Amino acid sequence: MAIVAPPSKFGKVGRPVLAWAVGLMFFFPIFWMILTSFKTDADAVKPEFLFVFKPTLENYLNMTENYDYWRFAKNSVITAVAATLFTLFIGIPCAYAMAFNPSRATKDVLMWMLSTKMLPAAAVLYPMTFLTKSLGLFDTHFLVILVLSLINLPIVVWMLFTYFKEIPKDIIEAGQMDGVNTWGEFKEILVPLAWGGIVSTALLCFIFCWNEAYWTVRLTTTDAATLSKLIEGNRAPEGLFFGRLSAVSAAAVGPIIILGWFCQKQLVQGLTFGAVK
Amino acid sequence: MSKRTLPRLLQSPAVLLLLVWMLVPLGMTLYFSFIRYVLNSLRRPEWTKPSLSNWRGFGNYEFVMSSKDFWFAIQNSLFIVCSILFATVILGILIAILINRVFPGRGIVRVLLISPFFVMPAVNAVLWINMILDPVLGLNGLAVAGINDLVASLQSAPLVGGFFSLWPEFEPISFRATQTSAYAVIMMVTWQWTPFAVLIFMTSLQSEDQQQKEAAVLDGAGVWSQFRFLTLPHLGRPIAIVVMIQAIFHLSLYAEIEIVSRGNGNKNLPYLIGEFANNNIGAASATGIFAVILANIVAIFLLRMVGKTLME
Repeated sequence: MAIVAPPSKFGKVGRPVLAWAVGLMFFFPIFWMILTSFKTDADAVKPEFLFVFKPTLENYLNMTENYDYWRFAKNSVITAVAATLFTLFIGIPCAYAMAFNPSRATKDVLMWMLSTKMLPAAAVLYPMTFLTKSLGLFDTHFLVILVLSLINLPIVVWMLFTYFKEIPKDIIEAGQMDGVNTWGEFKEILVPLAWGGIVSTALLCFIFCWNEAYWTVRLTTTDAATLSKLIEGNRAPEGLFFGRLSAVSAAAVGPIIILGWFCQKQLVQGLTFGAVK
Repeated sequence: MSKRTLPRLLQSPAVLLLLVWMLVPLGMTLYFSFIRYVLNSLRRPEWTKPSLSNWRGFGNYEFVMSSKDFWFAIQNSLFIVCSILFATVILGILIAILINRVFPGRGIVRVLLISPFFVMPAVNAVLWINMILDPVLGLNGLAVAGINDLVASLQSAPLVGGFFSLWPEFEPISFRATQTSAYAVIMMVTWQWTPFAVLIFMTSLQSEDQQQKEAAVLDGAGVWSQFRFLTLPHLGRPIAIVVMIQAIFHLSLYAEIEIVSRGNGNKNLPYLIGEFANNNIGAASATGIFAVILANIVAIFLLRMVGKTLME
Protein backbone atom coordinates (compact mmCIF):
# COMPACT_ATOMS: atom_id res chain seq x y z
CA MET A 1 0.00 0.00 0.00
CA ALA A 2 1.31 3.39 -0.89
CA ILE A 3 1.82 5.76 1.96
CA VAL A 4 0.65 9.20 1.02
CA ALA A 5 2.30 11.99 2.95
CA PRO A 6 -0.26 14.57 4.13
CA PRO A 7 -0.09 17.52 1.75
CA SER A 8 1.70 20.41 3.34
CA LYS A 9 0.44 23.96 3.10
CA PHE A 10 3.02 24.64 0.40
CA GLY A 11 1.86 21.68 -1.63
CA LYS A 12 -1.76 22.82 -1.61
CA VAL A 13 -1.41 26.48 -2.52
CA GLY A 14 2.22 27.49 -2.89
CA ARG A 15 3.25 24.92 -5.45
CA PRO A 16 0.49 25.62 -8.00
CA VAL A 17 0.92 29.37 -7.61
CA LEU A 18 4.69 29.19 -7.99
CA ALA A 19 4.46 26.75 -10.92
CA TRP A 20 1.98 28.98 -12.72
CA ALA A 21 4.20 32.02 -12.08
CA VAL A 22 7.22 30.24 -13.57
CA GLY A 23 5.22 29.03 -16.58
CA LEU A 24 3.85 32.49 -17.28
CA MET A 25 7.29 34.04 -16.85
CA PHE A 26 8.80 31.73 -19.46
CA PHE A 27 5.94 32.36 -21.83
CA PHE A 28 6.01 36.12 -21.29
CA PRO A 29 8.47 37.03 -24.10
CA ILE A 30 6.33 35.14 -26.60
CA PHE A 31 3.18 36.74 -25.21
CA TRP A 32 4.87 40.12 -25.46
CA MET A 33 5.80 39.52 -29.08
CA ILE A 34 2.21 38.57 -29.91
CA LEU A 35 0.84 41.57 -28.00
CA THR A 36 3.25 43.96 -29.74
CA SER A 37 2.30 42.51 -33.11
CA PHE A 38 -1.20 43.97 -32.66
CA LYS A 39 0.09 47.50 -32.00
CA THR A 40 0.95 50.07 -34.64
CA ASP A 41 4.67 50.81 -34.95
CA ALA A 42 4.10 54.15 -33.26
CA ASP A 43 2.11 52.71 -30.35
CA ALA A 44 4.56 49.84 -29.81
CA VAL A 45 7.20 52.10 -28.23
CA LYS A 46 4.93 54.32 -26.15
CA PRO A 47 4.84 53.49 -22.45
CA GLU A 48 1.21 54.62 -22.14
CA PHE A 49 0.15 51.83 -24.51
CA LEU A 50 2.03 49.00 -22.77
CA PHE A 51 -1.00 46.84 -22.08
CA VAL A 52 -3.97 48.97 -23.06
CA PHE A 53 -4.07 49.96 -26.71
CA LYS A 54 -6.25 49.85 -29.79
CA PRO A 55 -5.46 46.51 -31.43
CA THR A 56 -4.86 46.51 -35.15
CA LEU A 57 -4.32 43.83 -37.75
CA GLU A 58 -2.38 46.10 -40.09
CA ASN A 59 0.99 44.52 -39.25
CA TYR A 60 -0.26 41.14 -40.36
CA LEU A 61 -2.10 42.48 -43.38
CA ASN A 62 1.01 44.36 -44.55
CA MET A 63 3.45 41.50 -44.01
CA THR A 64 3.83 40.91 -47.74
CA GLU A 65 4.39 44.56 -48.47
CA ASN A 66 6.80 45.15 -45.58
CA TYR A 67 8.83 41.97 -45.61
CA ASP A 68 7.73 39.84 -48.55
CA TYR A 69 6.84 37.33 -45.83
CA TRP A 70 5.09 34.75 -47.99
CA ARG A 71 8.06 34.29 -50.32
CA PHE A 72 10.31 33.40 -47.37
CA ALA A 73 7.56 31.33 -45.75
CA LYS A 74 7.10 29.42 -48.99
CA ASN A 75 10.83 28.68 -49.10
CA SER A 76 10.75 27.53 -45.48
CA VAL A 77 7.83 25.21 -46.14
CA ILE A 78 9.30 23.80 -49.35
CA THR A 79 12.75 23.15 -47.92
CA ALA A 80 11.57 21.80 -44.55
CA VAL A 81 8.95 19.48 -46.06
CA ALA A 82 11.23 18.21 -48.81
CA ALA A 83 14.15 17.73 -46.43
CA THR A 84 11.94 15.85 -43.98
CA LEU A 85 10.61 13.54 -46.68
CA PHE A 86 14.04 12.93 -48.14
CA THR A 87 15.54 12.24 -44.72
CA LEU A 88 12.80 9.72 -43.96
CA PHE A 89 13.22 8.14 -47.38
CA ILE A 90 16.92 7.53 -46.69
CA GLY A 91 16.60 7.03 -42.95
CA ILE A 92 13.77 4.49 -42.70
CA PRO A 93 15.49 1.72 -44.72
CA CYS A 94 18.71 2.37 -42.83
CA ALA A 95 17.10 2.21 -39.38
CA TYR A 96 15.06 -0.81 -40.48
CA ALA A 97 18.15 -2.75 -41.49
CA MET A 98 19.95 -1.74 -38.30
CA ALA A 99 17.10 -2.73 -36.02
CA PHE A 100 16.19 -6.08 -37.60
CA ASN A 101 19.46 -7.27 -39.08
CA PRO A 102 22.07 -5.84 -36.75
CA SER A 103 25.63 -6.81 -37.49
CA ARG A 104 28.65 -6.34 -35.30
CA ALA A 105 29.33 -3.01 -36.99
CA THR A 106 25.83 -1.57 -36.39
CA LYS A 107 26.66 0.00 -33.07
CA ASP A 108 29.78 1.64 -34.45
CA VAL A 109 27.95 2.93 -37.51
CA LEU A 110 25.27 4.49 -35.29
CA MET A 111 27.93 6.10 -33.12
CA TRP A 112 29.77 7.39 -36.13
CA MET A 113 26.55 8.90 -37.52
CA LEU A 114 26.02 10.70 -34.27
CA SER A 115 29.57 12.00 -34.33
CA THR A 116 28.98 13.74 -37.68
CA LYS A 117 26.34 15.78 -35.86
CA MET A 118 29.04 17.08 -33.54
CA LEU A 119 31.16 18.55 -36.26
CA PRO A 120 30.94 22.33 -35.76
CA ALA A 121 29.30 23.77 -38.87
CA ALA A 122 31.54 26.82 -38.88
CA ALA A 123 34.62 24.64 -39.40
CA VAL A 124 33.50 23.78 -42.91
CA LEU A 125 31.95 27.15 -43.74
CA TYR A 126 34.39 28.15 -46.44
CA PRO A 127 34.63 24.78 -48.20
CA MET A 128 30.84 24.65 -48.34
CA THR A 129 30.61 28.16 -49.78
CA PHE A 130 33.38 27.36 -52.25
CA LEU A 131 31.93 24.01 -53.34
CA THR A 132 28.36 25.22 -53.70
CA LYS A 133 29.38 28.32 -55.62
CA SER A 134 31.58 26.41 -58.02
CA LEU A 135 28.88 23.77 -58.57
CA GLY A 136 26.29 26.49 -59.14
CA LEU A 137 24.23 25.28 -56.19
CA PHE A 138 24.57 28.35 -53.97
CA ASP A 139 21.20 29.84 -52.99
CA THR A 140 19.13 27.01 -54.52
CA HIS A 141 16.33 25.04 -52.94
CA PHE A 142 18.16 21.85 -53.84
CA LEU A 143 21.17 22.82 -51.74
CA VAL A 144 19.14 23.89 -48.70
CA ILE A 145 17.12 20.67 -48.85
CA LEU A 146 20.29 18.59 -49.13
CA VAL A 147 22.06 20.32 -46.25
CA LEU A 148 19.00 20.21 -43.99
CA SER A 149 18.62 16.50 -44.76
CA LEU A 150 22.23 15.74 -43.97
CA ILE A 151 22.32 17.58 -40.67
CA ASN A 152 19.13 15.85 -39.51
CA LEU A 153 19.79 12.37 -40.90
CA PRO A 154 21.72 11.13 -37.83
CA ILE A 155 18.95 12.17 -35.42
CA VAL A 156 16.26 10.69 -37.65
CA VAL A 157 18.07 7.35 -37.97
CA TRP A 158 18.61 7.26 -34.22
CA MET A 159 15.00 8.01 -33.39
CA LEU A 160 13.64 5.51 -35.89
CA PHE A 161 16.11 2.93 -34.66
CA THR A 162 14.90 3.31 -31.07
CA TYR A 163 11.27 2.94 -32.23
CA PHE A 164 11.91 -0.05 -34.50
CA LYS A 165 13.88 -1.79 -31.78
CA GLU A 166 10.72 -1.90 -29.65
CA ILE A 167 8.88 -4.01 -32.24
CA PRO A 168 9.09 -7.70 -31.33
CA LYS A 169 11.18 -9.62 -33.81
CA ASP A 170 8.75 -12.55 -33.64
CA ILE A 171 6.20 -10.59 -35.62
CA ILE A 172 8.64 -10.02 -38.43
CA GLU A 173 9.79 -13.62 -38.34
CA ALA A 174 6.18 -14.87 -38.43
CA GLY A 175 5.70 -12.76 -41.52
CA GLN A 176 8.78 -14.30 -43.11
CA MET A 177 7.42 -17.77 -42.36
CA ASP A 178 4.28 -16.86 -44.23
CA GLY A 179 6.41 -16.01 -47.22
CA VAL A 180 6.13 -12.25 -47.07
CA ASN A 181 9.01 -10.62 -48.93
CA THR A 182 11.06 -7.72 -47.57
CA TRP A 183 8.96 -5.05 -49.19
CA GLY A 184 5.75 -6.65 -47.94
CA GLU A 185 7.25 -7.10 -44.48
CA PHE A 186 8.13 -3.46 -44.52
CA LYS A 187 4.82 -2.18 -45.84
CA GLU A 188 2.41 -4.56 -44.12
CA ILE A 189 4.09 -5.06 -40.75
CA LEU A 190 6.70 -2.45 -39.93
CA VAL A 191 5.07 0.74 -41.12
CA PRO A 192 1.67 0.12 -39.47
CA LEU A 193 3.33 -0.89 -36.20
CA ALA A 194 5.81 1.99 -36.07
CA TRP A 195 3.50 4.60 -37.60
CA GLY A 196 3.38 6.73 -34.44
CA GLY A 197 7.14 6.72 -34.18
CA ILE A 198 7.60 7.64 -37.83
CA VAL A 199 5.15 10.53 -37.56
CA SER A 200 6.77 12.00 -34.47
CA THR A 201 10.21 11.63 -36.00
CA ALA A 202 8.96 13.49 -39.06
CA LEU A 203 7.45 16.28 -36.95
CA LEU A 204 10.63 16.76 -34.98
CA CYS A 205 12.75 16.72 -38.14
CA PHE A 206 10.45 19.33 -39.67
CA ILE A 207 10.84 21.57 -36.59
CA PHE A 208 14.63 21.33 -36.69
CA CYS A 209 14.67 22.14 -40.42
CA TRP A 210 12.37 25.12 -39.95
CA ASN A 211 14.49 26.59 -37.13
CA GLU A 212 17.92 25.96 -38.65
CA ALA A 213 19.84 29.21 -38.65
CA TYR A 214 23.42 28.66 -39.74
CA TRP A 215 23.46 27.12 -43.20
CA THR A 216 20.17 28.66 -44.24
CA VAL A 217 21.66 32.07 -43.47
CA ARG A 218 25.13 31.52 -44.86
CA LEU A 219 24.31 29.57 -48.03
CA THR A 220 21.40 31.62 -49.35
CA THR A 221 20.88 35.18 -50.50
CA THR A 222 17.42 35.60 -52.05
CA ASP A 223 16.05 32.71 -54.13
CA ALA A 224 16.11 30.02 -51.45
CA ALA A 225 16.20 32.30 -48.38
CA THR A 226 14.08 30.99 -45.50
CA LEU A 227 12.37 32.74 -42.60
CA SER A 228 15.56 32.53 -40.50
CA LYS A 229 17.30 34.60 -43.16
CA LEU A 230 14.41 37.08 -43.29
CA ILE A 231 14.43 37.70 -39.54
CA GLU A 232 18.22 37.80 -39.39
CA GLY A 233 18.23 40.44 -42.11
CA ASN A 234 15.93 42.71 -40.07
CA ARG A 235 17.85 42.36 -36.85
CA ALA A 236 18.12 46.01 -35.83
CA PRO A 237 15.11 48.11 -36.69
CA GLU A 238 16.32 50.87 -34.31
CA GLY A 239 12.98 50.82 -32.55
CA LEU A 240 11.12 52.03 -35.58
CA PHE A 241 9.28 48.91 -36.57
CA PHE A 242 8.61 46.93 -33.40
CA GLY A 243 5.00 46.34 -34.39
CA ARG A 244 5.59 44.95 -37.83
CA LEU A 245 8.73 43.07 -36.76
CA SER A 246 6.77 41.38 -33.97
CA ALA A 247 4.06 40.38 -36.41
CA VAL A 248 6.45 38.78 -38.88
CA SER A 249 8.34 37.05 -36.03
CA ALA A 250 5.10 35.70 -34.57
CA ALA A 251 4.09 34.44 -38.01
CA ALA A 252 7.48 32.75 -38.36
CA VAL A 253 7.39 30.86 -35.05
CA GLY A 254 3.66 30.42 -34.37
CA PRO A 255 3.05 27.27 -36.43
CA ILE A 256 6.18 25.61 -35.08
CA ILE A 257 5.38 26.31 -31.43
CA ILE A 258 1.97 24.69 -31.87
CA LEU A 259 3.54 21.73 -33.67
CA GLY A 260 6.10 21.50 -30.88
CA TRP A 261 3.38 21.14 -28.25
CA PHE A 262 2.39 17.87 -29.89
CA CYS A 263 5.81 16.29 -29.82
CA GLN A 264 7.23 17.27 -26.44
CA LYS A 265 7.69 13.68 -25.45
CA GLN A 266 9.42 12.64 -28.64
CA LEU A 267 11.73 15.58 -28.20
CA VAL A 268 13.29 13.95 -25.16
CA GLN A 269 13.87 10.73 -27.02
CA GLY A 270 15.08 12.48 -30.16
CA LEU A 271 17.52 14.85 -28.57
CA THR A 272 18.96 12.44 -26.04
CA PHE A 273 19.17 9.62 -28.59
CA GLY A 274 17.03 7.39 -26.44
CA ALA A 275 19.37 7.64 -23.46
CA VAL A 276 16.74 9.24 -21.18
CA LYS A 277 13.38 7.53 -20.92
CA MET B 1 21.55 -12.47 -52.80
CA SER B 2 23.08 -13.43 -49.48
CA LYS B 3 21.42 -12.63 -46.19
CA ARG B 4 23.88 -9.84 -45.48
CA THR B 5 23.58 -8.01 -48.78
CA LEU B 6 20.12 -6.52 -48.43
CA PRO B 7 20.66 -4.86 -45.03
CA ARG B 8 23.92 -3.38 -46.32
CA LEU B 9 22.17 -2.11 -49.40
CA LEU B 10 19.46 -0.48 -47.30
CA GLN B 11 22.01 1.28 -45.10
CA SER B 12 24.35 2.40 -47.83
CA PRO B 13 22.59 5.59 -49.05
CA ALA B 14 22.53 7.07 -45.56
CA VAL B 15 26.08 5.98 -44.77
CA LEU B 16 27.52 7.14 -48.08
CA LEU B 17 25.80 10.53 -47.96
CA LEU B 18 27.03 11.18 -44.45
CA LEU B 19 30.50 9.99 -45.33
CA VAL B 20 30.75 12.45 -48.23
CA TRP B 21 29.20 15.21 -46.14
CA MET B 22 31.76 14.66 -43.42
CA LEU B 23 34.91 13.90 -45.38
CA VAL B 24 34.85 16.27 -48.33
CA PRO B 25 34.36 19.65 -46.61
CA LEU B 26 36.46 18.65 -43.62
CA GLY B 27 39.23 17.43 -45.90
CA MET B 28 39.15 20.75 -47.72
CA THR B 29 39.30 22.65 -44.44
CA LEU B 30 42.30 20.59 -43.40
CA TYR B 31 44.01 21.25 -46.72
CA PHE B 32 43.29 25.00 -46.67
CA SER B 33 44.60 25.23 -43.13
CA PHE B 34 48.08 24.26 -44.35
CA ILE B 35 48.34 26.62 -47.33
CA ARG B 36 48.41 30.35 -47.83
CA TYR B 37 45.00 31.19 -49.22
CA VAL B 38 43.36 34.61 -49.24
CA LEU B 39 40.41 35.84 -51.31
CA ASN B 40 41.87 39.24 -52.22
CA SER B 41 45.49 40.16 -52.42
CA LEU B 42 46.89 42.80 -54.78
CA ARG B 43 50.42 42.19 -53.61
CA ARG B 44 50.43 38.39 -53.86
CA PRO B 45 47.82 37.38 -56.45
CA GLU B 46 49.17 33.80 -56.47
CA TRP B 47 47.73 33.33 -52.97
CA THR B 48 44.18 33.82 -54.17
CA LYS B 49 44.03 30.31 -55.67
CA PRO B 50 44.28 27.23 -53.48
CA SER B 51 47.46 25.44 -54.51
CA LEU B 52 50.01 23.15 -52.95
CA SER B 53 52.79 25.50 -54.03
CA ASN B 54 51.54 27.94 -51.39
CA TRP B 55 52.25 25.40 -48.65
CA ARG B 56 52.58 27.09 -45.28
CA GLY B 57 52.88 24.13 -42.88
CA PHE B 58 51.68 25.11 -39.46
CA GLY B 59 52.03 28.79 -40.29
CA ASN B 60 48.28 29.43 -40.24
CA TYR B 61 47.99 27.73 -36.87
CA GLU B 62 50.81 29.87 -35.51
CA PHE B 63 49.19 32.97 -36.95
CA VAL B 64 45.85 32.12 -35.35
CA MET B 65 47.38 31.23 -32.01
CA SER B 66 49.30 34.49 -31.89
CA SER B 67 46.17 36.55 -32.51
CA LYS B 68 44.49 38.10 -29.50
CA ASP B 69 41.05 37.56 -31.03
CA PHE B 70 41.53 33.80 -31.06
CA TRP B 71 42.25 33.49 -27.37
CA PHE B 72 39.47 35.90 -26.59
CA ALA B 73 37.09 33.86 -28.74
CA ILE B 74 38.02 30.61 -26.96
CA GLN B 75 37.64 32.24 -23.58
CA ASN B 76 34.35 33.83 -24.59
CA SER B 77 33.01 30.59 -26.11
CA LEU B 78 33.73 28.78 -22.86
CA PHE B 79 32.33 31.62 -20.75
CA ILE B 80 29.06 31.65 -22.69
CA VAL B 81 28.69 27.86 -22.74
CA CYS B 82 29.51 27.40 -19.05
CA SER B 83 27.19 30.21 -17.92
CA ILE B 84 24.30 28.82 -19.95
CA LEU B 85 24.95 25.29 -18.67
CA PHE B 86 25.09 26.41 -15.07
CA ALA B 87 21.88 28.42 -15.34
CA THR B 88 19.87 25.86 -17.32
CA VAL B 89 20.81 22.90 -15.12
CA ILE B 90 19.99 24.68 -11.84
CA LEU B 91 16.77 26.21 -13.16
CA GLY B 92 15.89 22.97 -14.91
CA ILE B 93 16.15 20.87 -11.75
CA LEU B 94 14.21 23.38 -9.64
CA ILE B 95 11.40 23.74 -12.16
CA ALA B 96 11.21 20.01 -12.91
CA ILE B 97 10.79 19.26 -9.20
CA LEU B 98 8.26 22.05 -8.88
CA ILE B 99 5.96 20.74 -11.58
CA ASN B 100 6.53 17.05 -10.97
CA ARG B 101 3.38 16.86 -8.81
CA VAL B 102 -0.20 17.04 -9.95
CA PHE B 103 -1.78 20.48 -9.56
CA PRO B 104 -4.60 22.31 -11.31
CA GLY B 105 -3.61 23.33 -14.82
CA ARG B 106 -0.37 21.34 -14.90
CA GLY B 107 -0.81 20.51 -18.57
CA ILE B 108 -1.14 24.18 -19.49
CA VAL B 109 1.91 25.13 -17.40
CA ARG B 110 3.91 22.48 -19.22
CA VAL B 111 2.85 23.86 -22.57
CA LEU B 112 3.72 27.42 -21.52
CA LEU B 113 7.09 26.28 -20.23
CA ILE B 114 8.15 24.28 -23.26
CA SER B 115 7.20 26.92 -25.84
CA PRO B 116 10.47 28.93 -25.85
CA PHE B 117 12.35 25.87 -27.04
CA PHE B 118 10.57 25.94 -30.39
CA VAL B 119 11.25 29.59 -31.17
CA MET B 120 13.75 29.86 -34.00
CA PRO B 121 17.11 31.31 -32.87
CA ALA B 122 16.85 34.35 -35.14
CA VAL B 123 13.45 35.31 -33.72
CA ASN B 124 14.65 34.66 -30.19
CA ALA B 125 17.55 37.08 -30.62
CA VAL B 126 15.57 39.76 -32.46
CA LEU B 127 12.77 39.61 -29.89
CA TRP B 128 15.04 39.85 -26.86
CA ILE B 129 17.50 42.46 -28.06
CA ASN B 130 14.81 44.79 -29.45
CA MET B 131 11.47 44.40 -27.77
CA ILE B 132 12.77 43.40 -24.36
CA LEU B 133 16.35 44.56 -23.78
CA ASP B 134 16.51 47.78 -25.80
CA PRO B 135 17.74 50.48 -23.38
CA VAL B 136 15.29 53.11 -24.63
CA LEU B 137 12.31 51.55 -26.36
CA GLY B 138 12.37 47.97 -25.05
CA LEU B 139 10.82 46.84 -21.79
CA ASN B 140 14.23 47.34 -20.17
CA GLY B 141 14.28 51.04 -21.09
CA LEU B 142 10.60 51.59 -20.33
CA ALA B 143 10.91 49.96 -16.90
CA VAL B 144 13.93 52.03 -15.91
CA ALA B 145 12.24 55.20 -17.15
CA GLY B 146 9.17 54.26 -15.13
CA ILE B 147 11.20 53.79 -11.96
CA ASN B 148 12.93 57.14 -12.50
CA ASP B 149 9.57 58.88 -12.92
CA LEU B 150 8.25 57.23 -9.79
CA VAL B 151 11.31 58.28 -7.76
CA ALA B 152 11.07 61.82 -9.16
CA SER B 153 7.43 62.10 -8.16
CA LEU B 154 8.17 60.75 -4.69
CA GLN B 155 10.90 63.34 -4.17
CA SER B 156 8.31 66.08 -3.75
CA ALA B 157 6.18 63.98 -1.42
CA PRO B 158 5.99 64.97 2.25
CA LEU B 159 8.00 63.02 4.85
CA VAL B 160 9.65 60.48 2.49
CA GLY B 161 10.68 63.10 -0.10
CA GLY B 162 13.98 63.76 1.61
CA PHE B 163 14.85 60.10 1.51
CA PHE B 164 14.01 59.71 -2.18
CA SER B 165 15.92 62.83 -3.21
CA LEU B 166 19.07 60.98 -2.18
CA TRP B 167 18.38 58.36 -4.89
CA PRO B 168 20.35 58.58 -8.09
CA GLU B 169 18.76 58.52 -11.51
CA PHE B 170 18.93 54.97 -12.88
CA GLU B 171 20.56 54.27 -16.22
CA PRO B 172 19.25 51.39 -18.33
CA ILE B 173 21.89 48.88 -19.39
CA SER B 174 22.57 48.67 -23.11
CA PHE B 175 22.98 45.04 -24.08
CA ARG B 176 24.50 45.79 -27.46
CA ALA B 177 27.62 47.22 -25.83
CA THR B 178 31.03 45.55 -25.85
CA GLN B 179 30.93 44.60 -22.18
CA THR B 180 27.36 43.38 -22.00
CA SER B 181 26.50 41.66 -25.28
CA ALA B 182 27.67 38.28 -23.99
CA TYR B 183 25.18 38.58 -21.12
CA ALA B 184 22.36 39.25 -23.55
CA VAL B 185 23.25 36.08 -25.46
CA ILE B 186 23.47 34.07 -22.24
CA MET B 187 20.07 35.37 -21.15
CA MET B 188 18.25 34.55 -24.37
CA VAL B 189 19.80 31.12 -24.81
CA THR B 190 19.10 30.24 -21.17
CA TRP B 191 15.48 31.23 -21.73
CA GLN B 192 15.33 28.97 -24.78
CA TRP B 193 17.12 25.93 -23.35
CA THR B 194 15.86 25.80 -19.77
CA PRO B 195 12.64 24.19 -21.10
CA PHE B 196 14.76 21.47 -22.67
CA ALA B 197 16.45 20.74 -19.34
CA VAL B 198 13.08 20.79 -17.56
CA LEU B 199 11.61 18.34 -20.05
CA ILE B 200 14.46 15.88 -19.68
CA PHE B 201 14.66 16.11 -15.90
CA MET B 202 10.89 15.70 -15.65
CA THR B 203 10.96 12.60 -17.83
CA SER B 204 13.66 11.20 -15.62
CA LEU B 205 11.91 12.13 -12.35
CA GLN B 206 8.88 10.13 -13.44
CA SER B 207 10.93 6.96 -13.34
CA GLU B 208 12.19 7.71 -9.82
CA ASP B 209 11.59 4.89 -7.36
CA GLN B 210 8.62 6.07 -5.26
CA GLN B 211 8.79 3.19 -2.80
CA GLN B 212 12.33 4.07 -1.93
CA LYS B 213 11.17 7.60 -1.28
CA GLU B 214 8.33 6.44 0.94
CA ALA B 215 10.74 4.31 2.90
CA ALA B 216 12.98 7.33 3.34
CA VAL B 217 10.01 9.39 4.59
CA LEU B 218 9.16 6.65 7.10
CA ASP B 219 12.74 6.72 8.30
CA GLY B 220 12.29 10.43 8.94
CA ALA B 221 14.29 11.78 6.02
CA GLY B 222 13.66 15.49 5.44
CA VAL B 223 12.95 17.13 2.12
CA TRP B 224 16.56 18.18 1.68
CA SER B 225 18.07 14.79 2.38
CA GLN B 226 15.52 13.11 0.08
CA PHE B 227 16.70 15.46 -2.63
CA ARG B 228 20.37 15.14 -1.82
CA PHE B 229 20.58 11.36 -1.44
CA LEU B 230 17.77 10.08 -3.70
CA THR B 231 16.73 12.58 -6.36
CA LEU B 232 20.11 14.08 -7.19
CA PRO B 233 21.87 10.73 -7.74
CA HIS B 234 18.90 9.63 -9.84
CA LEU B 235 19.32 12.75 -11.99
CA GLY B 236 23.07 12.27 -12.42
CA ARG B 237 22.87 10.73 -15.85
CA PRO B 238 20.25 13.13 -17.31
CA ILE B 239 22.32 16.04 -16.01
CA ALA B 240 25.39 14.73 -17.78
CA ILE B 241 23.41 14.32 -20.99
CA VAL B 242 21.86 17.79 -20.77
CA VAL B 243 25.30 19.28 -20.17
CA MET B 244 26.93 17.56 -23.10
CA ILE B 245 24.17 18.03 -25.65
CA GLN B 246 23.95 21.69 -24.79
CA ALA B 247 27.73 22.08 -24.87
CA ILE B 248 27.76 20.79 -28.44
CA PHE B 249 24.90 23.06 -29.52
CA HIS B 250 26.19 26.19 -27.79
CA LEU B 251 29.79 25.85 -28.91
CA SER B 252 28.42 26.63 -32.37
CA LEU B 253 26.12 29.53 -31.43
CA TYR B 254 25.99 31.92 -34.32
CA ALA B 255 22.71 33.68 -35.10
CA GLU B 256 22.33 35.12 -31.60
CA ILE B 257 25.86 36.56 -31.59
CA GLU B 258 25.41 38.05 -35.03
CA ILE B 259 22.06 39.63 -34.21
CA VAL B 260 22.90 41.00 -30.76
CA SER B 261 26.05 42.91 -31.58
CA ARG B 262 27.60 41.61 -34.81
CA GLY B 263 30.23 40.03 -32.62
CA ASN B 264 31.21 43.35 -31.07
CA GLY B 265 33.08 42.41 -27.90
CA ASN B 266 31.44 39.01 -28.05
CA LYS B 267 33.09 36.79 -30.65
CA ASN B 268 33.02 33.05 -30.21
CA LEU B 269 34.88 30.55 -32.37
CA PRO B 270 32.21 30.18 -35.10
CA TYR B 271 31.91 33.94 -35.34
CA LEU B 272 35.67 34.39 -35.58
CA ILE B 273 35.81 31.77 -38.33
CA GLY B 274 33.12 33.70 -40.21
CA GLU B 275 35.18 36.88 -39.91
CA PHE B 276 38.41 35.26 -41.06
CA ALA B 277 36.51 33.67 -43.95
CA ASN B 278 35.81 37.12 -45.37
CA ASN B 279 39.37 37.09 -46.64
CA ASN B 280 41.94 34.89 -44.92
CA ILE B 281 40.75 31.36 -45.71
CA GLY B 282 43.94 29.80 -44.34
CA ALA B 283 43.36 31.31 -40.91
CA ALA B 284 39.63 30.54 -41.01
CA SER B 285 40.42 26.89 -41.75
CA ALA B 286 43.01 26.62 -38.99
CA THR B 287 40.51 28.12 -36.54
CA GLY B 288 37.95 25.63 -37.83
CA ILE B 289 40.27 22.75 -37.01
CA PHE B 290 40.64 24.11 -33.47
CA ALA B 291 36.84 24.25 -33.21
CA VAL B 292 36.61 20.64 -34.34
CA ILE B 293 39.13 19.59 -31.70
CA LEU B 294 37.23 21.47 -28.99
CA ALA B 295 33.91 19.92 -30.02
CA ASN B 296 35.46 16.46 -30.15
CA ILE B 297 36.69 16.67 -26.59
CA VAL B 298 33.07 17.23 -25.53
CA ALA B 299 31.68 14.70 -27.98
CA ILE B 300 33.85 11.81 -26.85
CA PHE B 301 32.29 11.95 -23.41
CA LEU B 302 28.77 12.10 -24.85
CA LEU B 303 29.33 9.16 -27.16
CA ARG B 304 30.60 7.09 -24.26
CA MET B 305 27.49 7.91 -22.23
CA VAL B 306 25.06 7.17 -25.04
CA GLY B 307 26.95 4.09 -26.19
CA LYS B 308 26.34 2.34 -22.88
CA THR B 309 22.56 2.40 -23.25
CA LEU B 310 22.46 1.77 -26.96
CA MET B 311 21.95 -1.97 -27.11
CA GLU B 312 19.89 -2.39 -23.96
